[in-house]
Amino acid sequence: MALLELRNVTKCYNSASTALSDVSFSVREGEFVSVIGPSGAGKSTMLRCINRMIEVTGGEIYFDGVIVSKLNKRDLRKLRTKIGMIFQHYNLVDRLTVIENVLHGRLGYKSTLAGVLGRYSQEEKGQAFRIIKFLGLNEQVYSRCDQLSGGQKQRVGIARALVQNPKMILCDEPIASLDPNASKIIMDHLRNVSTGMGITMIVNLHQVNVALKYSDRIIGVNKGKVVFDGSPAELTPERIYDIYGSESGDLIVDLGERNAS
Amino acid sequence: MQIEESIKGWGQLSSDEIADTPVRPLNRSSFAMRIILLILSVLTIYALSTIDYNSVDIKKAVSDTLSNFKTMFLQPYSHRFSLPDAFYGVVVTMGLAFLTTLFGGIIALFLGLLAAQNLGLKQVANIIKVFVAFIRAVPTILWVLIFAVSAGLGSAAAVIGMTFHSVSYLTKAYSESFEDLDRSVIEALMASGANWWQIVFQAVIPSSVTYLLSWTFLRFEINFANAVAMGAAAGAAGIGFDLFMASGFYFDLREVGLITYFILAFAMALESLSTNMKGRLRKRI
Repeated sequence: MALLELRNVTKCYNSASTALSDVSFSVREGEFVSVIGPSGAGKSTMLRCINRMIEVTGGEIYFDGVIVSKLNKRDLRKLRTKIGMIFQHYNLVDRLTVIENVLHGRLGYKSTLAGVLGRYSQEEKGQAFRIIKFLGLNEQVYSRCDQLSGGQKQRVGIARALVQNPKMILCDEPIASLDPNASKIIMDHLRNVSTGMGITMIVNLHQVNVALKYSDRIIGVNKGKVVFDGSPAELTPERIYDIYGSESGDLIVDLGERNAS
Repeated sequence: MQIEESIKGWGQLSSDEIADTPVRPLNRSSFAMRIILLILSVLTIYALSTIDYNSVDIKKAVSDTLSNFKTMFLQPYSHRFSLPDAFYGVVVTMGLAFLTTLFGGIIALFLGLLAAQNLGLKQVANIIKVFVAFIRAVPTILWVLIFAVSAGLGSAAAVIGMTFHSVSYLTKAYSESFEDLDRSVIEALMASGANWWQIVFQAVIPSSVTYLLSWTFLRFEINFANAVAMGAAAGAAGIGFDLFMASGFYFDLREVGLITYFILAFAMALESLSTNMKGRLRKRI
């Protein structure tokens, strides 16, 4: 059964510019989906429409049996607790410690007062520590986030999303500011989370070869339209040309790895 | 090949085209700036050359002033005034400063949250900012005198008027500190389902707390100076009132000197104390 379904989703910022036009696809539970496409193609907008950080102008989004655009404020908050989100610039509170940042993921489940005072239950703290340990950050639990490296910050970002007990995680270019080494660690973690915990992943990516290596399915977006939707094996150089609008020979894409394996 | 050609292109560019282009071209704003500076300097020269000071003997005026300063600062002494009295006066003044900073800080915290562009509605933020700018444009002493109409001259009017001005000052300072926090951090917490109050207390205030502290301490020092002036001008008691009595009522220059030294010493102690406290609080946060 589809966990997420987009039907004819359209988003216009004003009458002149259309960010998304007629986007339709569905995602199964536990699937690892990469979204690729040139900058400004609407990848980020699409991701943010799913948890309604951006309101759509047309079409419907179904998540876990509910219509996202019809939810009221309270139900929207409940929906957002079920969808984690990871960002290119990590978006952590730099002055707080790792554990405090991770526990922010629980705020959606708490009453206003408990959240304001930062009162977390023993169970929540235990879970946060387990996730931090799982991501290999147990030495940094009490260090401030501005002292961490980029890769470590992104792992805190993943931990913050995981502590929500999400059904799905949206990743907005999670490795775009990281070096290749840290990128590999982050992508491995995302893949493990997806297969190990059965959490659906939607990942915006700039690196085609990373998308080829890690995903179950790739969606190509160009000028607000879905121009490719299929398995990594189906993504031929011609298809890449469709998505990016240039010969794949011109692009810095390494297709050799896939052919070798 | 291509790169070499483009390098050659750069070389040509630097040799002939750049030579006589000014770095800052004369546009409208820089032209207006120059005109204003010119007018101001002409006015200054005119005013200085036509000023009427023929009834003042400059030599005598300077020497009188210097001798007054000498009595004031080199022979400070008081026969009406004991140390505990002076100390009590300063404590009253400090109480005034503390109270107004505390009230002002609490009110400004909430107004500052509403006035921060990244937290609230843009219209609300702008309305508060304009309103607060208006309050700030009027000096503290005028607000105290305005409130004195209803509350009568004295400490009540001074507290209300100084709080009023502190609120406007701190609201601007606080809201700008809040705006320092990246919009994206707020977005991240919203995406996880946190509500506005939770985001404010879990992300916004923790990230800006050191700014908030330093602005508050700065305002406390300003309020101490204001409280001295209010004591003299609005009869709000404290050391300022004693200073006013000594100078305007008893014409006792030596006592004025003594009180000035006392205020100076206290202000310095206050300054070092606040720096110390700030440092300690920062370490803990």
